[in-house]
Amino acid sequence: MVILVVVIGYPIVRAVMLSVFDYSLITGDAGATYVGTGNFSKIGHDPVFWQSLKNTAIFAVVSLVGGGLGGLALAFATENLQGPWRFLRAVLLTPWAVPVIVTAFLFQFLFLDRGGLVNDLLMKSGLAHSPVPWLGSTQWSLFATTVANIWQTAPFFLLVFTAALRSVPNEVIEAARIDRTGAWVMLWKVKLPFLAGPGVIAAVIMTIQNINQFPLIWAMTQGGPGYSSTTLTIYLYRLVFVSYNLGYASAIGVIWLVVLMFISGWFLRRRRGVSR
Amino acid sequence: MTQVLQEKQRDTQRTSPRPDERRLRRIRTIPAVSTIVIAIGLATVAGPLYWMVTASFKTKTEVTALNPTMVPQDPTVDNYTGLITGSMPFTDFFLNSVVTSVVTAIGATFICALAGYSFSRGAYRLRSGFSLSILAVQMLPFAVLIGPLYLLMLKLHLLNTYTGLILGYTTFALPFGAWMMKGFIDSVPREIEEAARVDGYSRLGILFRVVLPLSLPGLSTTAVIIFINSWNNLLYPLTLVTDTEKLTLPPGLMQTFNGQFQFDWGGMMAATTVTSLPLVIAFFAVQKYMVRGMTAGALGGT
Repeated sequence: MVILVVVIGYPIVRAVMLSVFDYSLITGDAGATYVGTGNFSKIGHDPVFWQSLKNTAIFAVVSLVGGGLGGLALAFATENLQGPWRFLRAVLLTPWAVPVIVTAFLFQFLFLDRGGLVNDLLMKSGLAHSPVPWLGSTQWSLFATTVANIWQTAPFFLLVFTAALRSVPNEVIEAARIDRTGAWVMLWKVKLPFLAGPGVIAAVIMTIQNINQFPLIWAMTQGGPGYSSTTLTIYLYRLVFVSYNLGYASAIGVIWLVVLMFISGWFLRRRRGVSR
Repeated sequence: MTQVLQEKQRDTQRTSPRPDERRLRRIRTIPAVSTIVIAIGLATVAGPLYWMVTASFKTKTEVTALNPTMVPQDPTVDNYTGLITGSMPFTDFFLNSVVTSVVTAIGATFICALAGYSFSRGAYRLRSGFSLSILAVQMLPFAVLIGPLYLLMLKLHLLNTYTGLILGYTTFALPFGAWMMKGFIDSVPREIEEAARVDGYSRLGILFRVVLPLSLPGLSTTAVIIFINSWNNLLYPLTLVTDTEKLTLPPGLMQTFNGQFQFDWGGMMAATTVTSLPLVIAFFAVQKYMVRGMTAGALGGT
């Protein structure tokens, strides 16, 4: 507990304090000047901040929807696997255990302009006439990182939904069988409602993880080209360790912290409401 | 169990005079759809992994050939021997990753078990406050903390040390781990504890002799998840380590392959294959408990 307070509590307090200074990582304490709310007003007209905010939203939402639907479909499909066939589910879960850095490199390789598997398949099937510069263009880089993220995160949803499907009470399924419920209706009307609760929790956990996603994007594109795949996390990292502007980065961090507190507060209140 | 259910179903069908044709057809479409979904899933999962492993056995010219080959035409292990003999200190990276991740997994799981037990059974005033704040901490953006954390480690002279990295990983792991352990310990019946207390065990005795052995699947699942997260961590070593030999795999590989060896895709795929192995093995060792772990831990919740 003490360690937790020191290593997480201290940085938070420090971040709040830093946010009102013009603090550079090079000059340290000596070069810090008090700027009051200067850092905060700077955020308003910082186009890169707004672009990274937009990128973060797209990355998080598309990843969530893609991964969630993929995981849900696979959970339903693998629900009735018997005996040794259950091994298939374990195989489907593997991407979750693949290191993020590996996913990043692997998809860099798959998305290669020339000699990459994706472009090769697209060209051979006639869907594309010339190689798509997936990671090298401002148009596609965010899309490519999102695809890699979906590949990595869908197994988490598969795991959660599988666990949730197991917890559907047998009586409910029995009752539905006796009522001669059709298979699709069984899926949508009987089982799906039981998945809502765990689904929401999983979605919240995954949204947080997506917003915080650093290694995947940093290893694949470093936020580029330009700022086309820069999310808030990447932007903050750049501010601190590339332009050494710790004060300004902390100001963004503090705002972000406040927003997240509101979201998590709302989530916790709802959660307690549900369990009561 | 399922057999009984199937028989029951057959019974109901036999007794009904006009079987609903449409419904029967639909029941048959479900396995078909399932098979297709699973097949697509397997292709998406295994395809890239197959691509990675085969690429690691291809020669330099073959690996980025304009017409990619499905099977290495001229299999070679040069990419793997290159990892050891090459100028990149791959074995250092690997060792650093193993040491920091394993120590974190063991240490953090221990702390998580204590915290989880306290959240699950303790009856003190701040209990719900504590567990809620831990949940909130889980949502913190790590990029916000990394600047101040860097300054903290700088002042404690923990940059470029295992201790600094392990401390960083541990804080990263604790919130989720403690919450998960709470879920596992919740599922240990209280009656067993009561019995142990009657037998004269102390509180800690109960925890170590009774509760933890009973939640062994939970402990191992938590440890593996923490291990995976630490192994994956790029942000901390990237910022807290500046000596190349002290880097862990993720930043080490990044520096190597995004710099010096940018177009050595074969070597890169060999490195990624080796990097994945420990995690995939650890994962398959506990995957049986994973589903149960998720039900009990992460979703059982507050």
